[in-house]
Amino acid sequence: MKKILLLAAVASVSACSTHHLPSTQISDLDEVRAAIQQSKDAHAEKCAPEFQAKAVATMYQAAHEITDEAGYHPEEDAELIQQALSYAKKAREAAKTNCAKPKPVVQIAPRIIVKKPVVQKKVKPVVLEVIHLKGIHFESNSDQLTPSSTASLKHVVETLNKRPDIRVEVAAYTDSRGKAAYNLALSKKRAQSTMKYLLDHGIDATRISAQGYGEVNPIADNASAEGRAKNRRVELHILK
Amino acid sequence: MKKIGFICAAIFLYANSAMAAGVEDRSTKLQDQLNGNHTYDAYLARALASIAEDEKAQHDTGVAQAFMDLAEQHAQKAGMK
Repeated sequence: MKKILLLAAVASVSACSTHHLPSTQISDLDEVRAAIQQSKDAHAEKCAPEFQAKAVATMYQAAHEITDEAGYHPEEDAELIQQALSYAKKAREAAKTNCAKPKPVVQIAPRIIVKKPVVQKKVKPVVLEVIHLKGIHFESNSDQLTPSSTASLKHVVETLNKRPDIRVEVAAYTDSRGKAAYNLALSKKRAQSTMKYLLDHGIDATRISAQGYGEVNPIADNASAEGRAKNRRVELHILK
Repeated sequence: MKKIGFICAAIFLYANSAMAAGVEDRSTKLQDQLNGNHTYDAYLARALASIAEDEKAQHDTGVAQAFMDLAEQHAQKAGMK
């Protein structure tokens, strides 16, 4: 009996090993989020609620699986991403059909209309305001938030709940020590970790995105320890 | 000392199974109360409850609870009491 219990304990502890989150999966999630936002803008919540709900639920599941510390299953993660994108596409298309008002039937002479192809321009969101989140800290070389950070993040949750009309980007930065590629990857994971906290505390996934910027845009001199501490930061970008 | 270890392990295993059972019950209640509700929040609540049950089946009870909490939030938005 003792051996069985010991094996159970070891198994539960070994399941807590961590894995690194590839940046491709972060961008995949951003793509899903953008697709869901598009279907939402097309009124899919009202006109294609089932597909829209499935898209959002699958995105939550994908976000969990990708950030799951108990295992790393890239094929399953990719499948969930594809499912979420597929549902979002179906929601958008169904919403267009279902929301369209019936047009009055008018008898007109047939004629040939040549339409110019519509070029979809990607609109880059405009940052209206940058808020430096004080008190957000991570374990060294890790994307794990320190316990003291949660107090600051609670204020962010409260603010976002008071302002349901705004969308935000969680932006994370590092100092210039170490390799740029490593810093970029670390900042992306930290931005994701911060975003996950907000999602876990009820903020709608369609209102938040996360971006890591690495060591670019320093706000202080990286030559001093004090400057580097200032550069290791998380900001909240209020988007238009 | 052996007894204490045994009791701790038994409590741990019991707590896990109790949490798992809770997810199932909550999911059943949610499905019943949202039956016939075709709003976005109702669909989302059902989908999240289904994910919670999958996670529970994989013995990931903490995540299952989190998904179930989220499902119930949307169920309430959909009118579940």
